Amino acid sequence: MLTAQQTEVLQAAINRIIPPDESPGGWDAGAGDYLLRQLDRGGDLSHFAEFYAKGLDALNDEARTESWAAFATMDDAAQDALLARVEADEVTAKWPVEPSVFFRRLVEHTMEGFYGDPGNGGNRDAVSWQMIGFEVRG
Amino acid sequence: MASQANRYDVIIVGAGAGGGVAAGVLAEAGKRVLLIERGRSLSFEEIGRDHLRNQRLSQHGHNAGPDIVGNPRVSVDGRGRARTIRPHEGGYHNNAACVGGGTRVYGAQAWRFMPQDFRMASTYGVPQGSSLADWPISYEDLEPYYERAEWEVGVAGDRAAMTHLPSYRRDYPMPSIPVNQQGRVYRRGASAIGWHTLPVPLLINTTEYNGRAACHQCQHCVGFACPTDAKNGTQNTLIPRAVATGRCESVTEAMVERIETDGAGRVVGVAYFDREGTRTEARAEVVVLSAGATETARLLLNSATAAEPQGIGNTHDQVGRNLQGHYYPGVVGLFSEPMFDGLGPGVTTATCRFNHGNDGVIGGGMLADEFIVLPIIFQKRMLPPDLPKWGAANKAFMRDSYRYISDIKGPVQDIPSPEARVTVDPQVRDRWGIPVVRLSGTTHPETVRTAAFMWERAKEWVLASGAVKVWGKPPELMLSGGQHQAGTCRMGDDPRTSVVDAHGRVHGHNNLYIADASVHVTNGGFNPVLTILALSFRTAEHIAQSW
Ligand SMILES: Cc1cc2nc3c(=O)[nH]c(=O)nc-3n(C[C@H](O)[C@H](O)[C@H](O)COP(=O)(O)OP(=O)(O)OC[C@H]3O[C@@H](n4cnc5c(N)ncnc54)[C@H](O)[C@@H]3O)c2cc1C
Repeated sequence: MLTAQQTEVLQAAINRIIPPDESPGGWDAGAGDYLLRQLDRGGDLSHFAEFYAKGLDALNDEARTESWAAFATMDDAAQDALLARVEADEVTAKWPVEPSVFFRRLVEHTMEGFYGDPGNGGNRDAVSWQMIGFEVRG
Repeated sequence: MASQANRYDVIIVGAGAGGGVAAGVLAEAGKRVLLIERGRSLSFEEIGRDHLRNQRLSQHGHNAGPDIVGNPRVSVDGRGRARTIRPHEGGYHNNAACVGGGTRVYGAQAWRFMPQDFRMASTYGVPQGSSLADWPISYEDLEPYYERAEWEVGVAGDRAAMTHLPSYRRDYPMPSIPVNQQGRVYRRGASAIGWHTLPVPLLINTTEYNGRAACHQCQHCVGFACPTDAKNGTQNTLIPRAVATGRCESVTEAMVERIETDGAGRVVGVAYFDREGTRTEARAEVVVLSAGATETARLLLNSATAAEPQGIGNTHDQVGRNLQGHYYPGVVGLFSEPMFDGLGPGVTTATCRFNHGNDGVIGGGMLADEFIVLPIIFQKRMLPPDLPKWGAANKAFMRDSYRYISDIKGPVQDIPSPEARVTVDPQVRDRWGIPVVRLSGTTHPETVRTAAFMWERAKEWVLASGAVKVWGKPPELMLSGGQHQAGTCRMGDDPRTSVVDAHGRVHGHNNLYIADASVHVTNGGFNPVLTILALSFRTAEHIAQSW
């Protein structure tokens, strides 16, 4: 559903929304798996599939316009700075979707994949719950 | 025409809090009962533990009905713009649709209203534009039925701590849930500023009771079903009791379309669509509506007859008005000591110091600590507004603070407005072709003032308990309803300003009753379910005795 390039952009963005540190980043924790599953046919976000494809392409265009590099190849600080501008609708490339709306949704869904229950396809082995100290005991 | 097999003494529409109690009482009194529920009987496994689809966070769906497809409502905003919405979306004001209704997945806080809650107009006067009124019954009238609800459904609490109420005649059947870490901190904080606290009474077994186990203090209580079946609702108490008599037939996935009348306008039964979609008629001497505050109003409005062309019980244009729920102002605090110890349900400690007698505002409300907050709900709703929404700082804050953050909040006495209302939409229909609920208006602005006052008190308590930082949005004018919806067919002696009489009987009818939150004149500064249960015991007992 997403192209290889779009998936690469998604992975990089998810890893800036929830960066790896002493605990796994968003992508390794399965936030992307959650998102891809929900965007797929029959998923609860399938109506956003095209919106995501357009947004991810635009994010990559934005990176190229700015630094002649693909988003995924930029360093962390540059990615963060670029995402902050997208969040504030301060963009130079042509965006077919509203940049801030795209980014807000991406953040929201990434959080759902990371902090939601593993049954939803993300939060592998409940890593985020271990990280914050939420235990299911009964 | 209904066949002989479709004849009953009583038909009850809706197997929730009110309907479940009515079924139990009437079947045990010897009546042949038909209990009709649009939802299903849901097992623990079916309700599940999906953190994104439950009755607490309905992000992409929910777990206790109604079905997302085929059950729309229309919501009208302040500028008159109408939107068609689905059951899990904001503005729908959903509760639940299954056997047990809201009680299948609720938080089970079991509050009695206070004597003053039944006399709001005479205590405070009626602000301009409000329909604030006294109840036609008093706390003393309801007290024996509160006691029945506490014993027959099952409440854990401590009557000695309920100093805001007249003394109880009988203690609760079970001791309070043990206090947890946040509760200890809040009790200490309250006592430092001289506030009395009390353990929150809960419809949860703290000992083995009624043949079911005690609570294991799991982390998925509110919004979910109980793994040990220790949470008491009508689905595991009064409804099984009704069925055990052999006199109660319970049908599920059956949607009541309208109340049927004879040529003279007398109620004779109901028409419903069964699970195959077949339209069926059933007849009874008495019909009891317990479909919840929005759907009961809808059913009356959708049952117009020649005698009552505006809908049954609606000659004076009262059905659907005065919709109330609760504002729930709250404040979140970051503490320097852990607040979370993982012991559910989480809520243990309250104060009723501010339910009445507050300078310059009408009424007030109870304040309490909170159920265990699921991580995704914490991320969506509880982070400080100055924290970045994403990135390293957001993640670090989640890691460092989840166990150190806690909130205080509580339901505020709604000051009713006749313009906060349920009507039926002229165009939109559900999957059976029945006109749907249309919600419009807001509460009275006095509610916002009281809520703002309570918001300040919540802040005071959190700070007194040692929070190093507090945040939370002050309340704004909106329609209240939601899971605490009430008031749309209120009780009263005067048919021009109420829908049912003091026994829940619809004015102008001798065999049509309402036993659910619709009949609340006002909704107290407390979670409403114990009052709904108590009133239903009272109404059902009255019906059983009247023939
Ligand atoms: C997550 C959650 C937490 C809550 N926590 C608390 C709490 O801690 N304390 C508290 O006091 N309250 C709580 N509540 C609220 C409480 O559950 C409700 O106040 C209560 O259930 C309302 O009772 P009722 O009889 O008016 O309606 P309901 O319990 O909603 O029952 C109405 C029933 O009628 C059925 N119905 C509707 N229309 C039709 C029709 N046309 N045909 C057939 N059937 C129909 C519905 O499907 C439903 O099952 C909570 C609710 C929820 C969802």
